[in-house]
This record gives sequence, C-alpha cells and structure tokens, in this order.
Amino acid sequence: MMRKIMVATILLAAISVGYAVRNLGEVVNPPYVPAGLDAQETYASMSLLGQFKTSASAWLWLHADLYLHNGVEMREMTDAEKRSGVSTEDAADDGKAKLMDEETVLTTVPSKDRDFRGIFGDIERETSAYKDMHHHHHNDPKLALPLFRLMTWIDPDFVPGWVQGAAIIARDRTNEAAYKALEYLKDGRHQDPFSVSIVNEVGQLYITRLHNLPKAAEYLEQARIMGRHRDWVLDDTENNALLQCYRWLTLCYRDMNEPAKLREVATEGLHRYHGDPVLTHLLFPRPGPVVERLSH
Amino acid sequence: MRKIRCWNAIARAVLLEALRRKDLWVIAILGFIMILGASALGFFGVAGLEVFVKDLSVTVLGLFSTIVAVLTSVRLLPDEIRNRTLYPLLARPISRFDLLFGKFLGAVFASWIGFLSLSFLTAIALLIFHVQFEWVMVQYLVAKMMGLVVICAVTLALSTFMTPQAGATMSFVLAFGSSMMIRGLVMASDSASAPMKGMFQVVNAMLPQYSIFDMGSRAANIGWSAAPLWVMGALLGYMVVYSGAMLVLSWSKFRKQAI
Repeated sequence: MMRKIMVATILLAAISVGYAVRNLGEVVNPPYVPAGLDAQETYASMSLLGQFKTSASAWLWLHADLYLHNGVEMREMTDAEKRSGVSTEDAADDGKAKLMDEETVLTTVPSKDRDFRGIFGDIERETSAYKDMHHHHHNDPKLALPLFRLMTWIDPDFVPGWVQGAAIIARDRTNEAAYKALEYLKDGRHQDPFSVSIVNEVGQLYITRLHNLPKAAEYLEQARIMGRHRDWVLDDTENNALLQCYRWLTLCYRDMNEPAKLREVATEGLHRYHGDPVLTHLLFPRPGPVVERLSH
Repeated sequence: MRKIRCWNAIARAVLLEALRRKDLWVIAILGFIMILGASALGFFGVAGLEVFVKDLSVTVLGLFSTIVAVLTSVRLLPDEIRNRTLYPLLARPISRFDLLFGKFLGAVFASWIGFLSLSFLTAIALLIFHVQFEWVMVQYLVAKMMGLVVICAVTLALSTFMTPQAGATMSFVLAFGSSMMIRGLVMASDSASAPMKGMFQVVNAMLPQYSIFDMGSRAANIGWSAAPLWVMGALLGYMVVYSGAMLVLSWSKFRKQAI
C-alpha cells in the first residue's frame, strides 16, 4: 500500500513539475524564422503537431504568392543561372505587395529560349499557367487575404502572416480599413506580444493611414524598446522591422518638433545600423532632397 | 469484331473487380470530405477563397485519380497469376496480347470512372461556392483523362517487370516525381556541356511527361484561356505513342513469361 502511495506521489509530483514548466519549451526553443528562407519555420522542431502547423502555414504562404502571380509558379535562380546572366523576371513596380524578393526569380516552367525540350516545352507552356513574367504585375493581394487569416489561425507565431495580412486589409486607404487592419494586428500582438514587426506595423498604420503621429510614436517606442531588449532573438525580418522603426520614429519626432528625441533615436539607430542613409540624413540635415514630411 | 468483344469482356471484368473491392467508393468519399472541409474554410472570408478551393480541388482530383490508376493497374496481371485465374482465361481462344490490352482498357475505364465521379462531387462543392464555369475546366478533365491513360500504361508495364509493390512504388515515384526530375534537367541544362545536353534530351524523352497533361493551374486560377486545339491534338498523339510503347514493352515481357 505504502509503495502504491509513493508511486502515486512521485507521479503527481512529476505531473506538477511538468505543468509548472509547461512554458519552458518556448524559452528553450523559441519559435523562429530562419534567415534566408521565404517559407518560415516557427514550430517544426518542437512537436509533431508543430510540424503540421508549420508545414500548413508555409504551404499557404507559398500559395498566397502563387495567387498573387495568378498561378504562375516562380522559383529562385540557381547560382549557375545567376552567373550566366539569365535575365530576371522581376515584378514591375505596380504598388502591390510582394511576398518574396523577386530580383532573382524565374518562372518554374522555363521560357522557350531556356528550354531544351522542344515540343514538350511548347506544350507545357500552353497547358500550365505560364506567361512571360518580365516586369510582371501582381493580382490584387485581397485575393490571398483569406489565406493570411487561415495561416495565422493555424500558426499564430507566423509574424509575416500578421504583417502582410494587415497591409493587405489596409490597402483600401479608408479609415475603416485601417481600423480593421489594427484589429487584425491586435490579434497578432496578443499571439506574438514581443514581435517588433507587428508593433512597427501598427505604428506605420497610425502614420500613413490615420495621420496620428503621437499615437504612432507611442507604438514605435514600444517596438524600439522590444528591439533593444530582445536583440538576441531578432532574425532578419525582425531586424529589418527594427530599422524601419528607427526611421519612422525619427521622422515622427522631426514632424512633432521634438529635436532632442529625434537626436536620441537617430543616434541610437545609427549606432545599431551604421551608415543608414535615412537616419544619417535626419540627424545631419544637409542641403539637397528633403525626406518628405509625414503629414503630407 | 471478335477482338473488340473479347477486350470488352476482359475490361468489364476489371471494372467489376474494382467496384467489388470498393476502392472507387472509398476514394470518392475521402475526396468529397476533403473538398467539403475546404468549403468550411469560408469561415476565413468567402471572397477570394474560390481560387483556393479550386486549387485544392484540382490537387485532390489529381492525387486521388493517380492513386486509383496506379493501384488498379499494378495488380491486374500479378493477381491473375497468383490466384491462378490466368489459366482458365488463357484456355479460351484469346491471345496474351488480347488479355493484356483488355486489362489495360479495364484499368483505364476504372480510373476514368473514379476520376469522373470525383469530378462530379467536386463540381457540386464548387457550385456551393458559386465558382463560375469556364471552358478550361472541361479541357482540364479531358487532358487529365488522357494523362490517366499514360499512367495506367506505365504502371502495367512496370508490373510485368517487378513485383506489384515495387511496381506501385516506382509508378508513384514517376507520377509524382517525373515533373521534378524534368525540372531538374531544365535547370541543369544551362550550365551543361553539349554531350550532357544530348543525354538530358534522351532522359527527358524516356520519362513520362505527366505534367503536360495537368491543366490544373490554369483551371484553378483566374482568366486563363483554353489551350489551342493543336495542343490537345499533341497530347492525344503523345498519349497514343507513349502508351503504345509501354504496352509493347509489357507484351514483349508477358508473352515470354512462364506461368
């Protein structure tokens, strides 16, 4: 009997310890986006369910890009193709969202001049979604909005899903759309409270859509503090968002006529991002093209 | 005329066997459940989701019809040999080629029935989503049916050279991997030497070109026109030539096979 009680007590203690440290997994193995990958990995290394979530959201992210190209599948150039000077099929500047860097992309189905297959290649170009994508345009990103909702529902730690989704919602350029985007980002902040990208996006929306500089400065300050204190977990995306945050915040203080804060933020930003032209220009204004004022 | 009756009888037996095994029903039900699941995604905003549902539908259709085609074709001859039902068949006045061709036709019809019933269910799901009909969808069905003929022929040929398990595995590798292999050849060709390019041509010609039969990306996305008629003619020609070659290969093995 004593033995059974001891076993039960040990089991109970083990379960209690397990429950008490249930959040340790995220500290030891935090969700992250590996640098250089367009498809993200946030959960895959943590559990089988995590692998499913990551795979599903990565699949949706890639499909969102596919829908923006109306089904035309794109791929990154190989090193050999880059060396041989194959012309890139980069997008025209149509003002619509790109989900990937398209400066070194080609269509997966090759163009006739790159295809040794003869008639097989000709047939494939007629039966699959293929067109010449030099200076191509994108579909309206709203087409992919349900996918962003779905991918952030499946994988709430997928920060680019929140940021891009909000940018797409806010494309309507109405106050209503801006508030909807802020609501969407609020969900994102609830899921990823320490994401610099999400808070930076909130700040940008307040500047570009609602023209509320004090409110924007409030959020951008939050992003700046998070960036400063979470230096060790910032990946490329978050690091880039932090740079944007310094730029926007400096511009905010310039337009709010707070030169002391402007200097403080710009100096800190330059300390982190040496030689950034925007911050340098704002800290040491010289005659020449002026960075446009935010209120315009 | 007698030959046609003979092929017809053998093909019908294959169809009945496929129905008896309930493979087609299981796959139709699974496909329908998946598509209904996609419809439930309307929760995330219906506008814009049509493309996603169409995309998912053509993926499901392609996947399941390929599975039906491979699994139906791969066990036709080995099962007859293992169950010793081949002897009474060959005791009748039919040649081994007639048997092979009849089996092949049966596998093709079983795959087509599976594909078309799944397509019908998909069409209902798409109607629920108010997806508009486009002619390219009909072309997608026709091209896919031609592609299934090639899959059946390749699988039948593999099943005469290997065990059913190995044949099925190889056939799946080709069905789902040949387009990747071809893509790899195209990517590598830029930096390849002239003799290597010649080798790529040979390998490419030997691999079954399943991807040219898949018009799913055009059918799923918006505003793509139907392919020109010469393309459908070329697909038909390729189907006849490649499937014919596979059948000849199967027959050359099967006619000498000791049973």
